[in-house]
Amino acid sequence: MKWGMVIDLQKCTGCGECVAACKLENNVAIVEPKESEMGRTMLWMDMLTVYEGEYPRLRVRQFPRPCMHCDHPPCTKVCPVRATYRNEEGIVAQIYPQCIGCRYCMAACPYTVKSFNWYKPEWAPGIRETANPDVSVRLVGVVEKCTFCVHRLQKAKEQAKAEGRNLREGDFQTACAESCPAGAIVFGDLENTNHRVNPLSRSPRATRLLEDLGTEPKVIYLKEVD
Amino acid sequence: MRKHVALYTIAFAILCVLIVTGCSESKNYTQPIQYNHKKHIVDAGLTCFDCHTRVLTHEKASIPNILICKGCHEQPMTESKEEKKLVDYIKKNQPIPWIQVHRVPNHAYFSHRRHVAIGKVACLTCHGDVAGMTLPFSTPYLPIKMAFCIGCHSKNHVNTDCATCHR
Repeated sequence: MKWGMVIDLQKCTGCGECVAACKLENNVAIVEPKESEMGRTMLWMDMLTVYEGEYPRLRVRQFPRPCMHCDHPPCTKVCPVRATYRNEEGIVAQIYPQCIGCRYCMAACPYTVKSFNWYKPEWAPGIRETANPDVSVRLVGVVEKCTFCVHRLQKAKEQAKAEGRNLREGDFQTACAESCPAGAIVFGDLENTNHRVNPLSRSPRATRLLEDLGTEPKVIYLKEVD
Repeated sequence: MRKHVALYTIAFAILCVLIVTGCSESKNYTQPIQYNHKKHIVDAGLTCFDCHTRVLTHEKASIPNILICKGCHEQPMTESKEEKKLVDYIKKNQPIPWIQVHRVPNHAYFSHRRHVAIGKVACLTCHGDVAGMTLPFSTPYLPIKMAFCIGCHSKNHVNTDCATCHR
């Protein structure tokens, strides 16, 4: 079993629904504009913008960027306390109570997917109650990142076990994949031929970010057809 | 020199007191009603799941409140003072402010269904001999620490991958 994601850039409209869904699902902190300018914005799923060409032939491309859940993750190799590691199912997990906040992993990640909690989790009145109870609120001084919604996997596995069956495709979906109105994000088991991600990941349009680094990301992009 | 020794002794004593009272989990809670588990389980023949109705189907076991108690106690069954408190709560239609004693931190996923219904773990493994208890829980039966979880998981060859529980 190897969880992975395919993002079809041909279908992606750059609407940002995945970014919002991720932020709400995972109780990701909202920082003040001032701090955001200092590069302290917290996003597990970011919408990257690439400008190509020059005016008047300017082309703006946007693509969502979650954690790549690399098969050879550089971040886990530098963690001195094993707060981040790659598990048997290919998820690069982040264990918050174990994290000492050294931020080595942030420096090591070539995709800059990790965020550091600079502040105590503070919520506007009434907002705290709307937080997702299935995801812990991270404390000040720890690093966090996309977990492929591992809390959903925990529940899905339990449900499958209670029903005495194996995990089926669709039992476990990440919040971004579930929310994408264009159906551009597909999530599933890359090793299972019955899952949609399996043939998609072998498509001629498939590409990975910074492939030459040898990190072997499990988020696969399908190139736009020009 | 002697003065220093005295000062160190006092500091050490204060530290010990702090560790024992404040920093450890030996906090004592006083429950609103001195509920008697023994009377309900041994004498009345109820099972845990009769009152903690969500144990087998949900993540949280649920602490029974007036809606469930009402099933038997709408009218007092004994002359007990504690039962009178309960009947008053029912009459006023006011929920009993039970204090949750066994609390798993939010960063760990613990499901009763997974453990009791699927894993067939007996209630007493984590909660002790509740059937013999004449008073409600004022402290957890066991300190809720990861070492206890890991001990049981390793012994029963259950997955000990961090992401199995941490979230």
